[in-house]
Amino acid sequence: MINVRLFDLTTLLFGVASVNYVAALYGKRDTLARIGTWICVAAAVVSTAALGVRWAESYRMGIGRIPVTNLYESLVFFAWAVNLFYLVVEWKYKNRTFGAFVMPIAFLTMLFAFTNESSIQPLVPALQSYWLHAHVITCFIGYAAFAVSAGVAAMYLLKARREESKTPGGVVGLFPSSKALDDLVYKAIIWGFPFLTAGIITGAAWANYAWGTYWSWDPKETWSLIVWLVYAAFLHARITRGWHGKRAAILSIAGFLATVMCYLGVNLVLSGLHSYGGS
Amino acid sequence: MADDKRSQSPMDKVWNLFTSLKLAITLIIIMAVASIFGTVIEQNQPIEKYRQFYSDATIRMLDALNLFDMYHSWWFLLLLVLFTVNLSCCTLDRLPRVVKVVRNPKTRLDDGLEKTLPLVDRWKKKGSLQAWAEKYAEVVGGAVGKPLVTQNSETLHLYAERGVVSRFGVYVTHLSIIIIFIGAIIGNVFGFKGYANIVEGQSVRSIPTRGGSRPVDLGFEVRCNRFAVSFYTDQFGNPTQQPKEYASDLSVIENGREVLRKKIVVNDPLQYKGVWFYQSSYGPAGGASARVRVSSANGGPVADLSFHAGQQVEIPGYGTITGVDYQQDYRGFGPALLVVLKKPGGQATEFWLLQGRPDSDRQRQDPYFLSFGGLSQAYYTGLQVARDPGVNVVWLGCALMVLGIIIAFFMSHQRVWVRLTPAADGRVEVVLAGSASRNRLAFERKFEKIQDDLKALAV
Ligand code: HEM
Repeated sequence: MINVRLFDLTTLLFGVASVNYVAALYGKRDTLARIGTWICVAAAVVSTAALGVRWAESYRMGIGRIPVTNLYESLVFFAWAVNLFYLVVEWKYKNRTFGAFVMPIAFLTMLFAFTNESSIQPLVPALQSYWLHAHVITCFIGYAAFAVSAGVAAMYLLKARREESKTPGGVVGLFPSSKALDDLVYKAIIWGFPFLTAGIITGAAWANYAWGTYWSWDPKETWSLIVWLVYAAFLHARITRGWHGKRAAILSIAGFLATVMCYLGVNLVLSGLHSYGGS
Repeated sequence: MADDKRSQSPMDKVWNLFTSLKLAITLIIIMAVASIFGTVIEQNQPIEKYRQFYSDATIRMLDALNLFDMYHSWWFLLLLVLFTVNLSCCTLDRLPRVVKVVRNPKTRLDDGLEKTLPLVDRWKKKGSLQAWAEKYAEVVGGAVGKPLVTQNSETLHLYAERGVVSRFGVYVTHLSIIIIFIGAIIGNVFGFKGYANIVEGQSVRSIPTRGGSRPVDLGFEVRCNRFAVSFYTDQFGNPTQQPKEYASDLSVIENGREVLRKKIVVNDPLQYKGVWFYQSSYGPAGGASARVRVSSANGGPVADLSFHAGQQVEIPGYGTITGVDYQQDYRGFGPALLVVLKKPGGQATEFWLLQGRPDSDRQRQDPYFLSFGGLSQAYYTGLQVARDPGVNVVWLGCALMVLGIIIAFFMSHQRVWVRLTPAADGRVEVVLAGSASRNRLAFERKFEKIQDDLKALAV
């Protein structure tokens, strides 16, 4: 199927872009990073086209539906969103060092998607709901923002340590100032948090419409709440003396680990009502 | 609030604890970590299930800690209560101050205020104070909002602000959490959750609830007229094993009259008088029954029969028939039913009826012949039944939460002051200052623009 080939191409592009960004950082060659940017733009075009083609293909198969309904589709949608978020950040901050920390996340996601069943399957009755679309899209935009935030938080921790020891130079010297990084960690979460909140709410609305309980403490729901709580803690840490900076950055990374657990771990490790793991 | 720790009374200490953000962060993290346990240890399983995974000693320990139903345990509830108290105290502590600041804005830029502001600029111009004030008011009005002009002896003050509501976003968010809790409590106290398995053609009136308390009397009946599963077809149009739809045709019957009828599917429930019925499961009800038509030799229909395996039915004036066997594919002819026909006083005869050949039985050359119309399987539909009078309160809270977060994050309280004073040299001394509660970078740019526009003006 064409869409899957296009996603394979996207995977390749993300991989090359990641290598470029990392190499640019170590070799201090801005040209490499600039090429990385254009590869990311190309990947954005290809993956957007792939999503569109997949959508159209599902209609041709007579089971038309938005492509965000199984593990494969959610992974590629997540990577798509991470890439777009990254491009916006790079453009706004005029700094390409972020790429080495963010694009590998998109690349690894696509690699993982590559190992999963990629054919278009019709929806089981439980998933036939408009709430599904609202739920998945909001959740994954939130997750993508958190991925960007965690990547930048890692940069922050490196940069802050370097600034403390007052040893200049090295790769870390190219990073934006720790203040700017701290600000970006926060900004990304400012976007992620409302989307995650909306994602949890649409999930609850859907559950209520499908079986009459908006909250049943199943592991997936509970983990989404844990993620939400970690970022709520982050938001309050930022405005508390003695808690911003390093602790906030650690909370951002913890939040993203919880996000990964919520997204994949629950299905791979725990059991629950959500269907992705079985497929 | 007392600043000196030693002079605090115990009341103050408690108040300070409950208005502190540190407690909030600590509670939030404890709740997050505690919640993990409930996802690692499966909740509310029968004891046999736990025995497969844990030793008896472990089970006793986990049970003592309420970890098998932790989200309803006293300590988790206590956490929620502490959290709510913390949130409420914080709000009571801060909201009045915010309201005061919003209702009595500092409309005059004095020296003390000037020192606290991040963006300040000053210059001098020739001309009249009043004339400049009018011109500046126009520019500031266009950029931020119509300024309030006040006079203090010789000095003129301009003050403009926008986005005051952004100060309340946080409080809307916090309030929304409490509203959601209230909605959840209403649902738990006044609602119920139950289930009903209804065989096709039958109805129910009382619903057993989950949690085992008394069944709920609905005050009306719900009948399942029919249940059906449909399957997806492959690209050649042949049915696959993948279910496409589970549908129940339901009727609501009140005082013996049908008042509502609806086909429900998963994700599209029926609602009547606040009670919702959700398609949840299904299953076969009893054995399958065979449909057999009796016709007279000239082809006119006499009777349509439906019977289970082994059941004997009588055709008046002819005899009794019994279905004794069924084959999905009888000698390559497709589905077939083996029947035994016994006429009064006669011998029992046994023969196959082919579903694909309704006329095959004519070969017996009897006054009547039989045709097999296929098997019917009766189903029961499994419904979740719920009444939750708190759910709309929860949705209200959710809507407010999203709204509050958006206000808190993406709106900014922007303030601009201009002070015009007659200087000793006869010119007018102008001081421009501004601040924004959020997104300071964007405001800085706006401020620079105002600065340039003001300086470019001429009288
Ligand atoms: C998980 C539940 C909570 C959520 C989702 C939440 C949400 C928020 C949000 C979105 C902000 C704005 C943050 C910012 O401006 O960067 C905020 C600020 C704040 N929250 Fe919470 N909050 C929660 C719990 C609490 C609790 C329990 C307290 C109790 C002490 C609290 C006290 C505060 C305070 C004092 C602020 C700062 C207000 C200000 O800027 O004037 N929050 N909260």
